[in-house]
Amino acid sequence: MENFLIQLLNGLVAGMLLFIMAAGLSLIFGQMNVINLSHGAFYLLGGYVGLSAVRQLGSFWLALIVAPLVVGAIGFVIEKFLLRRLYGGQRHLEQVLLTFGLALVASDLIQWNWGAFVESVAPPALLSGQVPLYTIQFPIYRLALIVFGLALALLLWLFLDRTRIGAIVRAGVTNAEMVSGLGINVHLVFAGVFAVGTALAALAGVIGAPITALYPGLDFEILILTIVVVVVGGLGTLKGAFWGALLIGMADTFGKAYIPQFSLFLIFAVMAVVLLLRPSGLFGLEAWSR
Amino acid sequence: MNRKKSLTVTRRDFLKLAGGTTAALAMPAVLSACGAGASGPLRIGVLLPYSDIYAVLGESITDAMRMYFDEVGNEIAGRQIEIITEDTEISPDVGLQKARKLVEQDEVAFVTGVVSSGVLVGLRDYFHETQKLLICSNAGANELSRGLKTPYIWRTSFTNWMAPWSIGAWAAQNVGTRAAISIPDYAAGENNVTGFSNSYEAAGGEVVMVQRTPFPNMGDPAPFMAELADSGADLVYTFYSGGAAVTFVQAYSDFGLAGQIPLLCAGFMVEEDVLPAQGSAALGTFSTLHWSFVLDNAENNAFKTAFRERTGRDADVFAVQGYDTARVIAEMLNEVGGDTSDTNAMIETLAGISFASPRGPFAIDTNSQAPRHNMYLREVQEVEGTLHNAIMENMGEIVDPGNDSLG
Amino acid sequence: MTAVATQLGRVGTWVNRQRQWLWAAFFIAALVFPFVARPYHLSLTIEVLVFAIFAMSLDLLLGYTGLPSFGHAAFFGLGAYVVGYIASTSPLALGLTSNLLVTVPIVMAATALVALAIGFFALRTSGITFLMITLAFAQMLFSIAIRWSSVTGGSDGLSGIPRPTLGIGPLSYAFASRESYYFLVLAFFLASWWLLRRIVNSPFGWTLRGIRENEQRLRALGYNTFRYKMAAFAISGAFAGLAGMLLVHFFRHASPENLYWTTSGQVLIMLIVGGTGTLTGPILGAAVIRLFPLLVSTYFDRWRTLQGLLFIAFVLFAPKGIVGLLRGERDEELL
Repeated sequence: MENFLIQLLNGLVAGMLLFIMAAGLSLIFGQMNVINLSHGAFYLLGGYVGLSAVRQLGSFWLALIVAPLVVGAIGFVIEKFLLRRLYGGQRHLEQVLLTFGLALVASDLIQWNWGAFVESVAPPALLSGQVPLYTIQFPIYRLALIVFGLALALLLWLFLDRTRIGAIVRAGVTNAEMVSGLGINVHLVFAGVFAVGTALAALAGVIGAPITALYPGLDFEILILTIVVVVVGGLGTLKGAFWGALLIGMADTFGKAYIPQFSLFLIFAVMAVVLLLRPSGLFGLEAWSR
Repeated sequence: MNRKKSLTVTRRDFLKLAGGTTAALAMPAVLSACGAGASGPLRIGVLLPYSDIYAVLGESITDAMRMYFDEVGNEIAGRQIEIITEDTEISPDVGLQKARKLVEQDEVAFVTGVVSSGVLVGLRDYFHETQKLLICSNAGANELSRGLKTPYIWRTSFTNWMAPWSIGAWAAQNVGTRAAISIPDYAAGENNVTGFSNSYEAAGGEVVMVQRTPFPNMGDPAPFMAELADSGADLVYTFYSGGAAVTFVQAYSDFGLAGQIPLLCAGFMVEEDVLPAQGSAALGTFSTLHWSFVLDNAENNAFKTAFRERTGRDADVFAVQGYDTARVIAEMLNEVGGDTSDTNAMIETLAGISFASPRGPFAIDTNSQAPRHNMYLREVQEVEGTLHNAIMENMGEIVDPGNDSLG
Repeated sequence: MTAVATQLGRVGTWVNRQRQWLWAAFFIAALVFPFVARPYHLSLTIEVLVFAIFAMSLDLLLGYTGLPSFGHAAFFGLGAYVVGYIASTSPLALGLTSNLLVTVPIVMAATALVALAIGFFALRTSGITFLMITLAFAQMLFSIAIRWSSVTGGSDGLSGIPRPTLGIGPLSYAFASRESYYFLVLAFFLASWWLLRRIVNSPFGWTLRGIRENEQRLRALGYNTFRYKMAAFAISGAFAGLAGMLLVHFFRHASPENLYWTTSGQVLIMLIVGGTGTLTGPILGAAVIRLFPLLVSTYFDRWRTLQGLLFIAFVLFAPKGIVGLLRGERDEELL
């Protein structure tokens, strides 16, 4: 029983980390109908930029701000000069090739700049303690991660649902011409959304670094898992990213705890079952499954 | 441009076509370089990963090899040494094509390298059938010294069996008689289970749990910690590499197990390449390996200084293996007088090679076609402000039995 | 850049006009090749031909039927392991036979059957959902291969796979030499290309294209599109299995990598780079994707960056792939 509760907590941590990773991808996928295979690379880049920030500036908190800003700026530039040409549902294959190409370039340049060693980022001093829990100690950092994930979910929901900018973003997807007819710069909106999406990936990279470490190849590991989360949860909705992340996080954790040799199989079996029963994911919008 | 040309092909046209095509294809064949044979530069093929997670190992091995060859003026037995490196990534298929390129295109005298066991197993048949020599400087798959042994593959590194087997008896006698094992679910992981269990159980211990974690991507190791804590074991033996080595050690410490249940592992898991990232979480971890940074002998001291001067970073066990490989190559070439045309003659010299290496006394065992060297029991400690593997005990010489009798 | 594209378009037109001659040249070159080329180049060519078959099989599914599969390595790897298990002399495997008369039907039947089984579920979806379900099934097969080490050799894979033989009893020929294996692969490649071409240009093929364009309309016209998709999936899977079989007979080794999502991704990229829905596109794509890393990585450490830049360049200047370039098609918005 205690074991079960510990794993439940672990599952929450996994779910929240996945959510922070997936939120960015879901935003881009859902709001712009664009497949972004470079999401994992942005995660890794964020992590490494955060690492450098910690080393140079001495503060994890500063890294949490610097990394998303830097990577978000890069995302903005990429959207403006490259991705912008490829909107529209018929151009998914080109999006695949472009973003995959970007991912390769990013992956290689990251290794060139930071080296191929496995790197780690220490959690901030404030959060580096532990709390006794049955047979183990539970790291405070992970508990903080749960809180942060929930807070982020709330924040994003409020933004999209309750603010004017959020409404513009949502409107821009359904009818870009109308929105621009109202005098709003749709291009800027999309560029902004992409920038925020990549910034979120970078944020996930910094936050996740004390748990996942940083090394070449991590970007593609993250990418696959994140895509699974977004698709299972439901394309096009933040709610989908949240519940998808929780489901996959729990499945992964309990799989590892009880049937570790089959946890990979389990994740993909879960995905297959969900998609067969609900092709657009748990909370997806019907339109996006095409 | 819109006029339709006649579709009939006259005999002259056909001959022109055939001739032109054949000529175009024949050119590369004609331009092929002459073979190296017994004189001229001696080409050595190096198959290592230079991208992805094992890039660090590839770079370490290569840097150390080049360092040795530079030390002997890049000339052995009167012949100039030329190294040709190829990136194998972690793919056996890519490794095989690159091996073909080195052997057939670049016409190297022999090949060295190979980091991952999967690639080595994939290459085994190729070297066995082409009867070309491969001097492996890392991959430790037990099978290559046992069931898959071939006269054409020799190792200067280790077998996966060595590290786990060495620590088993000591663990049972000095730490506790109930052990939990946690390893990634693949061949090298299994090698560690059988090696450790064999000597641990022979010394009176009992393996109470074997935890096989997802391979290739373990992800967050947190779920495994509770099970280990609950196992009632006196010690945990593990083997992980790459990112998993770092995250596992960190989680082990983060979840409070580090102070409660001693952690033992195969030395690679806490080697110099991952120790900085693991940080204080690795303190107190016991391991066995055929080398340690703090090993105090003349060769190691000289080696470490030279390596640091050359590369700006600390040496690790992979660099030592690369260095020793280069030395083995040099001794082999000296024995055959630089004549690389007879592979069997080269192979015959291998068994007799022995010298003082940074890892201590080094020799190549004929039976297992792998090294005979010392194993050291080490503990991660803070040595002058940095983390290193302090040597607790020199466990003496070890050699792979060449069969599965000892795990 | 548009000037270059225009020139390439002209090349494409010229190529089209000189078709007859180029066929003749090609056949001569193909027959003479193994005797004039260096052994390493011959093995590269064999590898490209095998992946060309693999890529063409996916083109039938994606390019012609409009079904984006991210799990095609499932069939490729299945073909690899099935023939590996039947033929390998390793103690793990059966080591029964490597006779093509036996193995080819078994491999293609097995992969077609598995395709039907997977398709029964997956083909009820489309688009991104289909993409992810096919990925899921392939990853499940991968995890079985890695786990079931007593049969598949686990993470080390299955080695000891011999070259194939062909014949009955005393009239058996073993394709032991690289030259003979090249001819075998070439024969399979040409046969596959010819068969797929016939399929694609048959009424069945046109129905598939109809499904790609507008499945609803075809259903309204009374077509059982599900059956057509199942058939396409099975045929596509069978050819992918054939490619997998040919690969491991060449490398003499089957590894879990053959089932991994990176292989599925790679063949998808081959298709996009070469040009979907063209059957020639995948051949060119296979050549580019397989050869580029192998050739460039010798000279340039940062070859991955170059490869990424190449892909980006394709999207910007040749969005319909190499075939698109040769046909003179360009993205209108770039002009």
